[in-house]
Amino acid sequence: MTDNGKFTDERFQLTDEKTAIALDVLRKRLNRQLDAALEVCVRCGLCADSCHYYVANPKPEHVPAFRAEQLRKVYRRYFDPIGKLAPGWVGAAELDQEMVEKLINAAFGTCTMCGRCVINCPMGVDTRQIIRTARAMLTAIDMTPEGLKATVNVHLEAGNNMGVSEEDFVETLEWMEEELRAELGDASIKIPINKPHARVVYTFNPREVKYFPYLIQAAAKIFNAAGEDWTLSTESWDATNYGLFSGDDEASRKIASNLEAAINHLGADVLVMAECGHGYRSQRWEAENWLGRAYPFKVMSFVELQAQYIRDGRIRLDASVNPKRVTYHDPCNQARNGGIIDEPRYILKHAVMDFVEMEPHGAENFCCGGGGGMLSMTEFAKDRIAAGKVKADQILATGAEIVATSCHNCLDQLDEIRRHYKLKVKIQNLSELVAAAIIWPRQSGE
Amino acid sequence: MPVVELKGIKVEVDEDGFIQEPDSWSEELAAAIALTEEVETLTEDHWKVIHYLRDYYQQFGIAPMIRKLCKDTGFQLKYIYELFPSGPAKGACKIAGLPKPTGCV
Repeated sequence: MTDNGKFTDERFQLTDEKTAIALDVLRKRLNRQLDAALEVCVRCGLCADSCHYYVANPKPEHVPAFRAEQLRKVYRRYFDPIGKLAPGWVGAAELDQEMVEKLINAAFGTCTMCGRCVINCPMGVDTRQIIRTARAMLTAIDMTPEGLKATVNVHLEAGNNMGVSEEDFVETLEWMEEELRAELGDASIKIPINKPHARVVYTFNPREVKYFPYLIQAAAKIFNAAGEDWTLSTESWDATNYGLFSGDDEASRKIASNLEAAINHLGADVLVMAECGHGYRSQRWEAENWLGRAYPFKVMSFVELQAQYIRDGRIRLDASVNPKRVTYHDPCNQARNGGIIDEPRYILKHAVMDFVEMEPHGAENFCCGGGGGMLSMTEFAKDRIAAGKVKADQILATGAEIVATSCHNCLDQLDEIRRHYKLKVKIQNLSELVAAAIIWPRQSGE
Repeated sequence: MPVVELKGIKVEVDEDGFIQEPDSWSEELAAAIALTEEVETLTEDHWKVIHYLRDYYQQFGIAPMIRKLCKDTGFQLKYIYELFPSGPAKGACKIAGLPKPTGCV
């Protein structure tokens, strides 16, 4: 069990077999990039202020280099020639029970793999990669925190991470279609399912289907207004991939491959990822490496597509519907780690009256604290909320009444921050604001 | 797991405030958890949702889709979010003593 008494289950007890497996994972992952990341840290400490955990609570354990140092110690002990001979000389350490517990706290407990320290490191050290490697080692020996482990397992077993059955999925879509037809007074509105050769296949974060179906409505409004040839697949529709967070490349590959197969079976041109930060990053930037092949279709985020619709005049918006001051929270995996920075701003400048940036923003935005699968790991919830203080202060300084974002982990974390720090703001998805502002063609023709 | 005292009731919860033993749930405890989820008073409609969630969970071992919840209680979708401002998963399910769901919640 760890020093904080959180991991008392027997699976968190290290055995010789587990040690060998974990070290083997490290050995297999050691490539030029990881080697460099492990070797070149000069301990300048510049990463400290880049991390929201450290800014909220400046203690040594919250410095990114400290977290990375836990794996570096193990690396030196088993893979560095001097570390093997004189471990004490270079600060090397055995992978024992104490070390494993330090790795759990460093890799799962206090890092969201948001990558802000990576872009602020003068040596270009990819601490995010070091942390994911540590997570991969821990996952290989069944030491993943329960909620994260369960989320990956449910996805692999049920085809989506909340265990929604196909029957429930279809029934929810039909329900939303009915509601939409009633709201817009238009019986021709469709939420098409399994339509072969549609141009676009859309995906959802399962929580939209299970708990927040008004976001299905928002997406359907936008697709219908744009006159898009779109569909949904019952074969695979979950945009998430928690393999990215557990570090398990085999699970990541399986999840990505299921989605790839569904798009190929429908013969679509474009896979559009829901407003889901890590889902977008996984499918757009990581999955082809996990799969070892290129897709025959294009992958884009719904955020990019909405911006394109506005730019091409396929949807027209009336910003006066959204008169309140709005700020935007960049999800790490979409902005810093995904390159989508201009599009959400372009959308908001058309969809709302008063858009204001938080500082810093874009690639330098602070993580809200909900990244890295942190929301699923209840063992670290208190630290997560404490680290969210940085985001609370950023939001407060904008004077905004609405915080828009485009990621569900961000959405939930921001809402918890709102409650905990008593902020008078509403947290919304971009698509909600866009859908509300649509000028329907027939209205303008009246 | 931390033990918290809510309105004089001691109960084991995870760091997100979900109770660990479904059997330790009681209506008094539900009312106490509700206060932490922006629900000041549990009305008849709140109880209808809470009892529905518990019955469904006891029968199927999983939280129901919000589709089922709306259909079987007769409540509109918007009304569910009004009843439970922190949402169906973190609000309603937590108050009803269900475990924390998997996924992005």
